[in-house]
Amino acid sequence: MKKNTNSLEIRELCVQVDGKEILRNLNLAIPEGEVHALLGLNGSGKTSLMMVIMGFARYKVTSGQIFFEGKDITGLDITERAKLGIGIAEQRPPTIQGVKLKHILYYIVDKKFQQSDEFALMVKAAAMEKFLDRDINEGLSGGEIKRAELLQLLAMQPKFSMMDEPDSGVDLESLKLVGNLINMIFSRDSCRRINKKAGLMITHNGSILNYIQADKAHVMLEGQIGCSGNPHVILDTINKCGYEACARCMRRVAR
Amino acid sequence: MKSSNMERNKSEKIPDMDFCRTEYGMYAPEVTSMAQIKQSDADSLAGVGVHVRGHERSGTMILRNTYTLCAQSESKGLELLPIAAALKKYEWLGDKYYFKAVPAELDEATKRCAGQKEPHGYFIRVQKGARVTLPCQAAFYMASENITQMVHNVVILEDDSELQLITGCVTQHDIKSGLHTAVEEQYIGKNARLTSTMVHGWGSDVVVYPRAGTIVEAGGRYESNYISLRPAGQIISNPQTWLNGKGASAKYLTIILGSPGSTIDIGGDVYLNADGATAELAHRGVCTGGKMHQKGMLIGNASCKAHVDCAGMLLNEGKGGFIESIPGIKAHHPDARLSHEASIGKIAPEQVEYLQSRGMEEREAISMLIRGFLGSDIEGLGTELDARIAEIAELAGHGEG
Repeated sequence: MKKNTNSLEIRELCVQVDGKEILRNLNLAIPEGEVHALLGLNGSGKTSLMMVIMGFARYKVTSGQIFFEGKDITGLDITERAKLGIGIAEQRPPTIQGVKLKHILYYIVDKKFQQSDEFALMVKAAAMEKFLDRDINEGLSGGEIKRAELLQLLAMQPKFSMMDEPDSGVDLESLKLVGNLINMIFSRDSCRRINKKAGLMITHNGSILNYIQADKAHVMLEGQIGCSGNPHVILDTINKCGYEACARCMRRVAR
Repeated sequence: MKSSNMERNKSEKIPDMDFCRTEYGMYAPEVTSMAQIKQSDADSLAGVGVHVRGHERSGTMILRNTYTLCAQSESKGLELLPIAAALKKYEWLGDKYYFKAVPAELDEATKRCAGQKEPHGYFIRVQKGARVTLPCQAAFYMASENITQMVHNVVILEDDSELQLITGCVTQHDIKSGLHTAVEEQYIGKNARLTSTMVHGWGSDVVVYPRAGTIVEAGGRYESNYISLRPAGQIISNPQTWLNGKGASAKYLTIILGSPGSTIDIGGDVYLNADGATAELAHRGVCTGGKMHQKGMLIGNASCKAHVDCAGMLLNEGKGGFIESIPGIKAHHPDARLSHEASIGKIAPEQVEYLQSRGMEEREAISMLIRGFLGSDIEGLGTELDARIAEIAELAGHGEG
């Protein structure tokens, strides 16, 4: 049997943004082929965690390490991490004048693939046909931004994908489409674990978990992982008692 | 030409020019025919859109240093001659057109040009109703160090005619200095359409003073794309356009790359003298150093509509480089609708990082952003123009300018 190695592992990570500590001694391990959900209140550090895994310069690691497939990537820049196979779908990506969605997609996939049916199907799956010639994220609705981001991830086929609230601001109809895209990105339909991609999904209200089976969920509180476990059990508790219950529980544990 | 229509914007100040560095006519031509053009020369010319062989063109004119290698039309309805020959052939050229859109007494550059024994440059005439489908190309090529090129070009589009003109100005790759002055007079008849694409690729110390005047009659359209690929030591240009007929229009797109040691001052005055006249002026500049001035003045003398837009991107700090953008509007008529905008910015780090997260190297990301900035809002750029913009973005992205 193949040893179950970690796709991503974070050890004792401390991170500052603009001089303010955002993550404190955070530990997290996501095994190969597993998708984890990251829950938590706004401001608990979920987005910061994702941004620091990708390597955005604003998020400064003051101590601790990030490992990807066993390799320490703490000192690598964004490009190097992307090339290793880490990808991100941001919640609020920048708008860029004159740079069209197709320019980025054509950078990601080679010329032959651009002309293939497979590429056309990919664009269709994201319902982004009309947006290829538009400036990236310019004047897009919340749902359209999610789809544009996920389409880029789908084209990149990262080994480890991160998504920041793919379900926020998305209507029910689009949520199904978004769920389908995410399943494609993670190859969740594959029966063999080895073919499945790993990843981390931030969700505030958990609605995306009706479409994607997450292997595990983590609750973030004040820059730390407060609790980990079965996604449905955790979500149930939060829905019944709110994040305040998690905070109380964490304080008890700390004592 | 009615003199009232040819009034010039009084605030225009001609900057000091430097004529002392070069001598005119010192060099005997070593290349005197197209067959003698070396591959390296052909490559330099191709870099600014002029192809010596193998491309379909309606006509070709090449001036190498101060020798006209060829001036030949391949298309019906298009006449292409060296200007000196045209002046001998057509008396009316001197009477009605030569130094009429650009006065000989305008400044030192025009005076010197007017004082030449025999002018260099081209005469292009498109006959009434002729639509020349293939582009016509002209090259001004400096293949020796420190020479002076003083050219005078006249383009006449008779009523209902059409022409695409590609002009490439370039120095051989190892040539650094020289002086290039040009008088360019363009006359666009009723419902005629001229699209002019000019690509410059000068040596780092070349001094360039074009003096252009364009007159557009009713329903006529003038489109100018100017791209400076490699920054010269100094470029000072303020083309004048008179939209004199009803519904005449002009569209200018200027794309400039500035780098340390260069001074680039590009303006553009458009006089909207007839009802229904429209004009658009767009300046795009990427500055990696040096001085860059973007100007543009719209003068509304009738019921007209026009917009001027200057946008600059300053890439390097602390090298004394700057961009100055001064779009201007002036109305003499209550129904003149004129507007302007200007912006200068830098490359946003979050945009670079965003593209990096898609696997791009930092330089590739910067090039893509510059290309987007230069080419945005411009629909239907031809493939050649698009390639030139990509080249500028590449150069600027590498900080090489």
